[in-house]
Amino acid sequence: MTKAAPPAPLTSAPGDDTSSTTLALANQQLAHLVEKTADLSAVLGRADLVGRLEQTRARLNDPFVRVIVVGQYKQGKSKLVNALVNAPACPVDDDIATSVPTSVSYAEEPAAYAIVRNGNSPAGGVERLPIPLDSLADFVSERGRRNDEHDIVGAEVVLPRELLRGGLRLVDSPGVGGIESTRSVSTLAALSTAHAVLLVSDASQEYTEPEVQFLKHALRVSPNVAAVLSKTDIYPSWRQIEEIDRSHLGDLGRIPMFAVSSDLRMLAAQEQDRVLNEESGFPALVAHLRRDVLDRAEIVHRRAAVHDLVSVVDQLGMAVKTELNALLNPQDTPAMIAELEAAKVRADEFRSRSSRWQVTLSDGIADLISDTEHDLRDRLRKVQRDAEVAIDEGDPGPIWDQIAEWLDQRVANAVSETFVWTNDRSRWLSEQVAEEFSLEESTLPFIDVSDTDGVLDPVEDVQGMDAGRLGATEKIYIGLRGSYSGVLMAGLAMSLIGVALINPVSLVVGVLVGRRAYREDKTTRLSRRQAEAKNLARRHIDDVVFQVGKQLKDRLRFVQRVARDHFGGIADQLHRSLSESVLAAKQAAATFESDRNGRVIELKRQLAHIEALRAEIPASVDDAGAGR
Amino acid sequence: MSAVLADVTELLGAAREVYAGDSVAEAVLDTYARRLREPLRLAVAGMVKAGKSTVLNALIGEQIAPTDAGECTRTVTWYRYGRSATITAHLHGGAEVRLPVTRSDGALVLDLGSRTAEDVAWLDVVWPSESLRSTVLIDTPGIASISQDVSERSTRFLTPTRSPSEADAILYLLRHIHASDVRFLEGFRDTAAGASQTVNAVSLLSRADEIGSGRIDSLLSAARIAERYRHDGELRSLALECIPIAGLLAEGARTLRESEFAAFRELAALDRVVRDRMLISVDRFTRPTHDTTLSVADRRNLLARFGIFGVRLGSALIRGGARTSSQLSERMIAQSGLIDVQRFVADQFRSRGPTLKARSVLVGLELLLEDRPARESGRIRAGIERVTANSHDLRELALLSQLRTTEPVVSRSDAAAAERLVGGAGTSALARLGLQDDADAEAIRARIADVLEHWRRLAEAPLADRATSDMCRVVVRSVEGIASELAVGDGSDRFATSDVVLASRPM
Repeated sequence: MTKAAPPAPLTSAPGDDTSSTTLALANQQLAHLVEKTADLSAVLGRADLVGRLEQTRARLNDPFVRVIVVGQYKQGKSKLVNALVNAPACPVDDDIATSVPTSVSYAEEPAAYAIVRNGNSPAGGVERLPIPLDSLADFVSERGRRNDEHDIVGAEVVLPRELLRGGLRLVDSPGVGGIESTRSVSTLAALSTAHAVLLVSDASQEYTEPEVQFLKHALRVSPNVAAVLSKTDIYPSWRQIEEIDRSHLGDLGRIPMFAVSSDLRMLAAQEQDRVLNEESGFPALVAHLRRDVLDRAEIVHRRAAVHDLVSVVDQLGMAVKTELNALLNPQDTPAMIAELEAAKVRADEFRSRSSRWQVTLSDGIADLISDTEHDLRDRLRKVQRDAEVAIDEGDPGPIWDQIAEWLDQRVANAVSETFVWTNDRSRWLSEQVAEEFSLEESTLPFIDVSDTDGVLDPVEDVQGMDAGRLGATEKIYIGLRGSYSGVLMAGLAMSLIGVALINPVSLVVGVLVGRRAYREDKTTRLSRRQAEAKNLARRHIDDVVFQVGKQLKDRLRFVQRVARDHFGGIADQLHRSLSESVLAAKQAAATFESDRNGRVIELKRQLAHIEALRAEIPASVDDAGAGR
Repeated sequence: MSAVLADVTELLGAAREVYAGDSVAEAVLDTYARRLREPLRLAVAGMVKAGKSTVLNALIGEQIAPTDAGECTRTVTWYRYGRSATITAHLHGGAEVRLPVTRSDGALVLDLGSRTAEDVAWLDVVWPSESLRSTVLIDTPGIASISQDVSERSTRFLTPTRSPSEADAILYLLRHIHASDVRFLEGFRDTAAGASQTVNAVSLLSRADEIGSGRIDSLLSAARIAERYRHDGELRSLALECIPIAGLLAEGARTLRESEFAAFRELAALDRVVRDRMLISVDRFTRPTHDTTLSVADRRNLLARFGIFGVRLGSALIRGGARTSSQLSERMIAQSGLIDVQRFVADQFRSRGPTLKARSVLVGLELLLEDRPARESGRIRAGIERVTANSHDLRELALLSQLRTTEPVVSRSDAAAAERLVGGAGTSALARLGLQDDADAEAIRARIADVLEHWRRLAEAPLADRATSDMCRVVVRSVEGIASELAVGDGSDRFATSDVVLASRPM
């Protein structure tokens, strides 16, 4: 098949490799096949299978690949996104920073939306409000948010760009604290839902410690991390910095690195200068996004699609074959019905709550919830103990700010660790369930190997957009820092300045009398302050356990629900196929001789059709491109 | 010598008597005594790669501190004046090693020989530069460095837990506010001059030329950002001012060579289209080309010395009329923000030098008393309190930091006026009064009378609480100081409300 001429490239930069890959072509074929199978299912009256194929097709057409762009404050994240799509999608300013995540994806007509939290609806519903493209800055930057009564959690921009056509979504994250400790949990949560992460750091300096820390965490959470060295047009020694950064990365594992200049890229697009685009370093980054991010996700989706197709076609064939068999060999019908009934009973068990995979799932989640809570408590207890030791060592009053900061960081660290750990475990559990599922399923007449790759996808929904908001935990952090230190520091400062300003006449008398009283008072005040400080630390940690524990629990419950629905749906379909087969066999036994011939011909035609379809389904998808 | 220094010196003498025989304490007291006689110590601190050594070079006016693209300064390095150049490495444990003085391309080569940065406590560079006569400059390793011990060394130096900070004042370089920046400033403030003193720190928005990706209007953006930081609550309570500075440009301009000027002139003479093409990116600028006679090495050198912004600005300034290398250098310095920094250091730090030094030493003395209690330490303690209470300058500093860090007890406009009067915007008499340099005697007299009247009324208001009237008295005393400095009487009994008779004159 020759390559279908793609529509004229829409303002893509010259020199980009945005042509459809062979994989994309194979995708179209597959989508076509899915459509044909869905039509057939509809003809045979299996609306449930049609629904399943609808989803498959949607996923093939739009793989929904999310790439999060993260980095410290002011490293040029928004500009990188803009340069990638050659459009001012994300507002850029020398001073004002982005304050909510902005997602950029494909559509025929450019448009922008604000994702607004709807206060009226319960459970934090979000609404998508269309906004004019050019006033986006008023919604997503720090400046715009001040006088805005809307509760904006994110923004979405859609653009007709070749690069985005494959379903790529670039998410520009708010800069401040992309990496800072207090935000680490929400950032990690967002990362775990992304297909790929781009860490942006400018060429003015080598990686700092927080950046390397962040990369370490990101590597554990996200499968596809890449580093981008930005602003190479203004730093003469960017090659040297790149060298140093690479050596830092070398210690962490395999992370590809791209040195780019967004300004050059934009200039190149403006002047349609292919050479300049090459110099900007973007072609390599674009190729990475297409090859290593988009295509890899597509392979996963394609594999899922092939599984779906095989399973659906086999199920369709089952009823037809059974009926045909019953018509052609009436003497075997009772035995066949008995066999099918037995299979149906097994399928019944299979979808019931007591089936092995269901048990594995619910037990696993329950264990995981208690383990997670224990893990969190355990880590935080250590933090608390350390904090108490620190408080006991001296007067917590003057250094409370530092203590609070330290506590904050340790707590955030502990929470991140627990999060990463929970994430790993829940992934492992879903794999476990999938294995159980396919093991049991193999005892059924038709084998359908389910994949787990898609199972955790839905978890990403709103959470990714939440990253820019002040979480409940953060509010606690801030409240904690303000309240205690405010009271104490003011008191302390006043007493000090009071001493300094006593006039010299009263000083002679006053100091002598006052000093003793002050000293005696000092020890009691000190122990009171220490007790108070410890109390505060304890209460703070309690709050964190409460809040974070709830969040993690919700997350795990969600994983459970999603896995149950995913596997349960497949089990249901299987059950229906079997019951229909039984029904068909029974009907066949009662069919009159005169109808029989016509029915046999009809069934044979259907079977031929099904088998033709079956033959069209590729055996494996890995031959199409870079497999895993 | 100023009065407060004399008082503190006397106190140190008394302390020596108390600690006679205790060799450790004596050594500490000796260093304090020496410190009082030395010039002001100004430390340059900040995040890693904030451009500390570059700014330091710009301040000195010579390219001595080594700079590099990677992390460079790994030990605390002192730069002080001396007739001949020497470099001494002070090792942990007290040993000293003389290092050879070698320069490569102007910059010093701090070759530790077989030793590593871990062995060296600090480096002492004595250098015959006029700029170092009035100030000792201290270069520090960056904090938040990827190698934890490098940044620890710096934090330990600037914010030691058991002795006063070695620096009297600090230039804190930040590129943009990071959480760890603010924590660091707090740490410095706590130990350098007692609790909650903001008065010895200034923040510099460094690498200002890079803020707008090196566009020619980058410095305007930087000025806007600095303006915002100036009003930022958190930073306001930590540092007196925020000034943008393009360090590389300032360093390059102060050490501009004739050959570089010629190169700039050649660039300026190029056809505009050709020049713009060349200056698109650093790679384009350093690529072999026939458009200019400048060799690739020349262009590389130009970039390394001035940055892409400096090169763009340099050629623009020549087209704008800079005819000689000194004119170009002057205009570049004016653009870079260096003059503002120098003026600020002179106004706020150097003029307050004795007071800042006295503060540092008093804090150190208190700690010494706590650590090594002696029989008669009560006497010294009383002395510390007396000096603190008597010195109007110390009280001014205390008030200034109080105004910056706590909710004002008076109205906002009064608080702002008070801040200016005690020297928050410059210590010269006219700056304190908020008048232009060319204000005539009549205007000054009228302003002083107004201000004095206002603050006396506030101080004596029957409903004023203790904190308010204390504060107002300090302000009144400052205004009286201004009046006597300018020799303007306000017609009334000048010291009627002042409770401090022995106060020293403002410096």
